[in-house]
Amino acid sequence: MADLYVKPGNARRGWNDPPQFSYGLQTRGAGPGRTPLSRRPPSAPQGPPAGAPPDRPPAALGAPPLGPPGPAPSARGSPSPAPGEEGGATGGDVPAEAVLAPLREALSACRPAMQKQVCDDIGRRLTALGDAWARGKLSAPVRRRMALLVRELERRRWDAADEIHRSLMVDHVNEVSLWLVGVKRLIAECRNLPTAEPGEDSNAAGPSPEVPVPPGAAN
Amino acid sequence: MATYLEFIQQNEERDGVRFSWNVWPSSRLEATRMVVPLACLLTPLRERPDLPPVQYEPVLCSRPTCKAVLNPLCQVDYRAKLWACNFCFQRNQFPPAYAGISEVNQPAELMPQFSTIEYIVQRGPQTPLIFLYVVDTCLEEEDLQALKESLQMSLSLLPADALVGLITFGRMIQVHELSCEGISKSYVFRGTKDLTAKQIQDMLGLSRPAVPIQQGRPLQAPEQPVISSRFLQPVHKIDMNLTDLLGELQRDPWPVTQGKRPLRSTGVALSIAVGLLEGTFPNTGARIMLFTGGPPTQGPGMVVGDELKTPIRSWHDIEKDNARFMKKATKHYETLANRTATNGHCIDIYACALDQTGLLEMKCCANLTGGHMVMGDSFNTSLFKQTFQRVFNKGLNGEFRMAFGANLEVKTSRELKIAGAIGPCVSLNVKGPCVSENELGIGGTSQWKICGLDPCTTLAIYFEVVNQHNAPIPQGGRGAVQFVTQYQHSSTQKRIRVTTIARNWADAQSQLQHIEAAFDQEAAAVLMARLGVYRAESEEGPDVLRWLDRQLIRLCQKFGQYNKDDPNSFRLSESFSLYPQFMFHLRRSPFLQVFNNSPDESSYYRHHFARQDLTQSLIMIQPILYAYSFHGPPEPVLLDSSSILPDRILLMDTFFQIVIYLGETIAQWQKAGYQDMPEYENFKHLLQAPLDDAQEILQTRFPMPRYVHTEHGGSQARFLLSKVNPSQTHNNLYAWGQESGAPILTDDVSLQVFMDHLKKLAVSSAA
Repeated sequence: MADLYVKPGNARRGWNDPPQFSYGLQTRGAGPGRTPLSRRPPSAPQGPPAGAPPDRPPAALGAPPLGPPGPAPSARGSPSPAPGEEGGATGGDVPAEAVLAPLREALSACRPAMQKQVCDDIGRRLTALGDAWARGKLSAPVRRRMALLVRELERRRWDAADEIHRSLMVDHVNEVSLWLVGVKRLIAECRNLPTAEPGEDSNAAGPSPEVPVPPGAAN
Repeated sequence: MATYLEFIQQNEERDGVRFSWNVWPSSRLEATRMVVPLACLLTPLRERPDLPPVQYEPVLCSRPTCKAVLNPLCQVDYRAKLWACNFCFQRNQFPPAYAGISEVNQPAELMPQFSTIEYIVQRGPQTPLIFLYVVDTCLEEEDLQALKESLQMSLSLLPADALVGLITFGRMIQVHELSCEGISKSYVFRGTKDLTAKQIQDMLGLSRPAVPIQQGRPLQAPEQPVISSRFLQPVHKIDMNLTDLLGELQRDPWPVTQGKRPLRSTGVALSIAVGLLEGTFPNTGARIMLFTGGPPTQGPGMVVGDELKTPIRSWHDIEKDNARFMKKATKHYETLANRTATNGHCIDIYACALDQTGLLEMKCCANLTGGHMVMGDSFNTSLFKQTFQRVFNKGLNGEFRMAFGANLEVKTSRELKIAGAIGPCVSLNVKGPCVSENELGIGGTSQWKICGLDPCTTLAIYFEVVNQHNAPIPQGGRGAVQFVTQYQHSSTQKRIRVTTIARNWADAQSQLQHIEAAFDQEAAAVLMARLGVYRAESEEGPDVLRWLDRQLIRLCQKFGQYNKDDPNSFRLSESFSLYPQFMFHLRRSPFLQVFNNSPDESSYYRHHFARQDLTQSLIMIQPILYAYSFHGPPEPVLLDSSSILPDRILLMDTFFQIVIYLGETIAQWQKAGYQDMPEYENFKHLLQAPLDDAQEILQTRFPMPRYVHTEHGGSQARFLLSKVNPSQTHNNLYAWGQESGAPILTDDVSLQVFMDHLKKLAVSSAA
């Protein structure tokens, strides 16, 4: 769902600043069966250091050995999939109205159950979103992910919509901070609507991780 | 040998426990002769996705002084429905709910695979988690903007029902009232005068109804949640207003003249934060999160004056007793830290500035309460932003990796006593028969409080064997320890994690080889290192090094095989073979050496060393080095200058830094652009492999490490050169007759010289 990419750190402000991982990469976590890079060689050398093995290349610079392009010899066993750069081709042509209309619709659906002031506040933020969009201030990934968010909202997949909101907030906070919080509230309000039928993800939710009470014990 | 390694690993995975000795010497005298104390590293909340909690109360031993939890080591009489406590031998009746138990129908807590078990219990009302942001506004515009965005972002990561509050400070301190109504109000305090908790609560109108209310003030509503809700509100209610409030934050408006530091009232701001939570939510999970971009410069807790021409204290100043504000400031923060710990809250410090910010003085706030300490150059760095995001990370089961208000109790068999603990905790001063008079670390108690912890938080716990010499091996042949951790889960549930372990006793005179074979040198190195670092906080550096050396020599004398006065005959068995090397690197580490580090940096490094688990701690002591070359798959190599070869790429992990170093030839190949030629695609892959591996580490480590990409001759190669064992230096380079590895320009002794001296001293009959 969220984009997977790595951006360089801010070398201008931070000395040896590490790269920045997108929300998708951070929450995806480590792949299965990963062995941490924590092995050590068996023991310390006891005598003088050994000389160079005989098959070292000569000191004068030759070419690196030619070879078939085998997989990257990562020390973790399996190479990590190369994360694609952000900025999908499909992002550019989402019309603003395709995103805004369903959001406004959702807002009017929630209006009876909400305080007027909160409603107005959300409305103001949707207007801010529309303005930013119209003035071309939103980058392609933001527009694309907003389109995805709205689609999830329409399908009543609240958790998925909320997760997209979170990924937008983490990856593009400077673009979205002022208006996205309104969308966040809207997702929460839609979820609470009494008329709302159970969304798809309430069925998909995993069982709670509780073991059956052991035999013979309490309950 | 493999069997002991497997045993150690299994125990760590199941129980989160690593003991220095896995077969215990059966008498006090013999135990002291083992040099390394009987001790363990305990990760109380180690992640166990395969261990779902049970939903009932633990069964306790009925002896009032024992109250150990029923566990797989207890003897059970299924007919009579009785169980015997394995700690005090009291016979107990099972509660009525256990009437149906039998040999084939056991409750989980009696099954051997549940030596660690977690209970969800119903105790008291569940209160939401609390996050109180304390934000420095004396920042550069760029930093303040980045910090504001990070804070806005965090509102999306917090649990929806969490309570959140905001205090900002510069010359003055503002406590912001959060309301859904349009107008934002704040209470303003001066930063020069400390206030008692009572004064703070009175001024904020938080006094309990029983306390007389100041004249002229309107009566507060009697309901306490209503009172506190003015400053602490559920995220889902005020996220929009708080986003705007944060967005509108301005830099501290007081003018700062040339040659001055801004006046920053960190001490009073923290004091108000502590007082606010103390009055409203004692004993519930709460984080005070301090974000600061410079040193406190006024009021209680100031660490430096506002004159820029007076630099902040250095190690040199401290040694010369020339750090004017240090003692008073430290005392201020210690008082606050202790109050916070008493309230069960924790304090995080996120300090981002190029100069020091006073972590030395403030460290106790995080160290005593289990809070995080993060040090960066700027809030507008990936290092800060991602570290801060990871505070809100979720674990394998989708729950936040944070827990609060833990009470860790240790119970032991009669032959053992508890000497103390080292970790992010405070003593609860619970005396008892199992508490030793000899203290190691924070002693004199069998219970500690850890106000903030996560699945990696690890405590070192030290024991003392008290069985008398020549007494028979204790009853049952095994000693046992039980760890009972009561805590507030991030879901706000109250939970109890119980781990019960047992190890065999052995007579050290007739069965020394059993004890020796069951030595866990990795755990022992970390446990000794924690003792050393703990001492280094109060003792002079050279004294600590001498103490470590003496312990190492004694250990080698006891367990080495040698002929008297013949160093060449000295051998250590495999279970001890790496230990001297760990000590060698520990001696050179920033945890014991302050040279080239500021007092803040030393505090920062020591903070993390005192709480990480064994694997991470060992990386800190002796960094990991991997080599990538055309000669085979990537392999771990010795942390030694001989490993630095021209046709290798090295990846070094020191925990705080990830360094990628291209050897001379590799760097030249890269400059020549071979990686771009299709026929040399294998070279491109070779360059990429360490980057991928580094990325894996960077993606999970907390806090985010610095990332150094360098090459032979590069100035940043110094990070690698200062960590490797200098087996080749400018002094001996040509003695070997051939060129290999990289000479290190240092007068430090190498591991080889260190080992030669160690052997000499160990075999000496004069010692």
